[in-house]
Amino acid sequence: MALLLILIPLASIILLNIGFKNAMTKLAIWLSLAVSAWQVAMIIFKVGFDSLNLVNVFNLEIDGLSSVLLLSIGIVAFCSILVGNGTICCPKKKFNFYNLILLSIIGMNGIVMVRDLFSMYVFLEITAVSAFILIAYQEDKFSMEGSFKYLVLSAVATVMMLSSIAILLMYAGNTSFVMVRDAVQGMNSPLVLTAIALFVVGLLIKGGLVPFHGWLPDAYTSAPASVSAFIAGIVTKTTGIYTMIRIVSEVFGFSETIKMILMIVGLISIFVGALAALGQNDFKRMLAYSSISQVGYIILSLGTGTALGVAGAVFHLFNHSIFKTQLFINSAAVEKQTGTRDMDSMSGLSNVMPVTGWTSVVAFLSTAGIPPLSGFWSKLIIVIALWKAGYYWFAGLAIIGSLITLAYFLYMQRRVFFGKINVNFKDIKEAGASIIIPAIILAAITLGVGIFFPYFINTIIVPVSSVF
Amino acid sequence: MKNETLILLTVFVPVLGSFLLPLIGKISETTRNLCALIFVLVSLICSFLLLPTVMRGETISALYVQAVNMNYFYADSLAVFMAIVSSLVGAIIVLYSFGYISHYEHRNEYYFMVVLFLGSMMGIVYSRNLISIYVFWEITALACWRLIGFFRERTYVLRADKAFLVTVFGALMMLIGFLNIYGTAGSFDLGVISKSHVSNLAVLFIMFGILSKSATLPLHTWLPDAGVAPSPVTALLHAAVLVKIGVYVFARLFVVTIPLDEMWHTIIPIIAAVSALVSAGAALIDTDMKRIIAYSTVSQIGFIFLGLSIGNDVALAGGLLYILMHGLSKAALFLCAGIIEQATHTKDITKMGGLIKTMPVTAISFLICAFSVMGIPPLGGFFAKYLVINGAFKSGQTTISFVFLFGAVLTIIYLFRLFILIFMGHSKVEHPEKEGTPVMLISVATLAVLSILGGIFINYPAEVVMTTVQQIMGVVR
Repeated sequence: MALLLILIPLASIILLNIGFKNAMTKLAIWLSLAVSAWQVAMIIFKVGFDSLNLVNVFNLEIDGLSSVLLLSIGIVAFCSILVGNGTICCPKKKFNFYNLILLSIIGMNGIVMVRDLFSMYVFLEITAVSAFILIAYQEDKFSMEGSFKYLVLSAVATVMMLSSIAILLMYAGNTSFVMVRDAVQGMNSPLVLTAIALFVVGLLIKGGLVPFHGWLPDAYTSAPASVSAFIAGIVTKTTGIYTMIRIVSEVFGFSETIKMILMIVGLISIFVGALAALGQNDFKRMLAYSSISQVGYIILSLGTGTALGVAGAVFHLFNHSIFKTQLFINSAAVEKQTGTRDMDSMSGLSNVMPVTGWTSVVAFLSTAGIPPLSGFWSKLIIVIALWKAGYYWFAGLAIIGSLITLAYFLYMQRRVFFGKINVNFKDIKEAGASIIIPAIILAAITLGVGIFFPYFINTIIVPVSSVF
Repeated sequence: MKNETLILLTVFVPVLGSFLLPLIGKISETTRNLCALIFVLVSLICSFLLLPTVMRGETISALYVQAVNMNYFYADSLAVFMAIVSSLVGAIIVLYSFGYISHYEHRNEYYFMVVLFLGSMMGIVYSRNLISIYVFWEITALACWRLIGFFRERTYVLRADKAFLVTVFGALMMLIGFLNIYGTAGSFDLGVISKSHVSNLAVLFIMFGILSKSATLPLHTWLPDAGVAPSPVTALLHAAVLVKIGVYVFARLFVVTIPLDEMWHTIIPIIAAVSALVSAGAALIDTDMKRIIAYSTVSQIGFIFLGLSIGNDVALAGGLLYILMHGLSKAALFLCAGIIEQATHTKDITKMGGLIKTMPVTAISFLICAFSVMGIPPLGGFFAKYLVINGAFKSGQTTISFVFLFGAVLTIIYLFRLFILIFMGHSKVEHPEKEGTPVMLISVATLAVLSILGGIFINYPAEVVMTTVQQIMGVVR
């Protein structure tokens, strides 16, 4: 079963490219939708979870943490494919888009299932390569620039991680998580510490945390709408944040230094991201900074090192991938209908685009942590975890960060959706079905997870925290 | 029907029903309006049905959730009393909206938010744990935001954002306080918390939340600004529901559950006194009709806080009665203001005058309710005010009591000023239109009649209040 999650998207890519160009161009969207929907269904219904682990090539495993990620990968990919169908112009580009999405699904599924540093690195590269091409998709100056920045910083991160893996291999004799953990933990040699530091910094670059966030706003903003939703929603979360959670909690362990570094980086990211978001006029750029800020919460929560903190981090990761994808989809709808991303030139779009307006309200309230939406519960768990671990100031500051989040989103709402309709946009219509449907699906998930929280606490949080 | 079911119906019929209203509204406007009213009436009726049980001194718990080991809802006589007051006033305001809102855009959103708001209020009232209080608390803030910005003007939306940010700031502070309590008591359940000691730091943080919601100094600035909302909404926010949420949570946490340290019995009355005086002063000089009434609310909330915080049974009974009487009459004042505003197209009282000739029903209702707020016997407001100040004297805090007496005098002055400038003298309005639609007049008149009846038949609400006070004093002592 675990291997199927890699083989089926791979088989789909091969199938799409063996020939029959015309037929395959039509088939591509259905096939890629089917693959992502199948992945979601597999995780929800837990089909063959324990059995079918026949070929142990990469030593694949699916535990609670992996399944949360697999679920979000499936959902976000499904929605991005639909949005791509609604926003990308010519059939040939669409075809390439679906192929690249499938490729990065392979990469991400691999990342979350492997139990080995080197395999993880390989899958990271697969994901990164498809992400570079996806960002540069429009082939204009800005997207090239965004893609290039991501490429360069990503390469730096890769080099750091690879050299770190080399050092660890030297000590452990193997790169599997278990072996490395046994060799590394409790060891104070400077070389090992360097290796750990290199790896952690590499992941911080990948995740776009302050002060390594330089590439992120450009990459998110210059990418086409559907790609931004995909990259911001899940790609950076899997390559940078999930990996951090997995590696720190299972391999390096929570030493005091790592905890402090993570918490401080997290807190700085929360504030830098939120304050920068407050000053943006470009809709997508604001969302990008907001993303940095929310990722800060995840890392801050991870930094507590307690089971509850890790559970809060994972839960917020899931929620964030849902509501941030949704906000990028909303921005895609707005951009498509008005032809601009400048928030100052819009006003009162809720009047003409009610679905986009209301789903964005759901998403932003969830981001700001207003109950009863999903984001509230994950933030609450994060704050409780910080409080229980004795970091009272961090808990208080995290709560203040929520207020700034609310402030910049209210500012966004006031300029874009809420208010009197701008006369220039009096006659625009709601964006097409393939943008509206994913927005509604994601808003429903946000609302549903929030309202049926007691159920989710048992199915998501408890399994994740029992891992540690 | 079982009592547990009644509580669940009270909360979830309006909360879940509100989501249906926009859909119903797409089919038929009249059906939607009636549904909105019915949802609120369900809350009212169910709460009335709970009354006999709680009057016997029993309490009811509902919706036990295994996963977190907590009861979600709980009813005692305080909760039922509060629920009846707010759903009664809420129902009349919804009725009034039928006339008021009928010619504006976004009617679906309006009814959606109003009913959601009232439903969340019920949720707070019957909450058994801190998390559930917090959840419903924030839902009301959200509904408020949409409603204050209802007319979509740029400055209005700005003020809506301000209200949202101030109340959320308060709520987040309150959340820190809740976490602090959780740290010491190990649970969010009010039943567990009442057995453990709560630090003054937690009380301080929670007070931020309460003061921001009930618009007491220094977090009151959003409330006068919120007057830009449609009049029934301001009535809802200022009179019936929103500001009372703060008061109710104060009563629920610090009067019923957690015995406060002695110093708070002095600090909170002082905050209340400053708040009452400053806002009364602001009400004296302002010229915007709705802002004056709003400042008056801030001022009257001070009286309620005085009653609840001074710490003896007379004042407590007065504070609770005050919630009822103030809700009824202040709602009527705002609704009258709405009628006047629609007829004259202005809110500036210096441009009005002599309106008693063209709108007698409004004028008389306004006067009766203003009398009740001033505390003129035999109207309901008199008994409440008398008991509060009497209780304050009894507790020995003479200075505070005199300050509040002075506040009461100011109330009389600014409300008379308001009445005279609007209704007496020569008309400065060119072509004053007629009074509002019949439903609007009926709602206003009903509230006025209730204010009178509340005074004459004071023994009925007083009975409920005395039971509540006995229960509370029994628990705390």
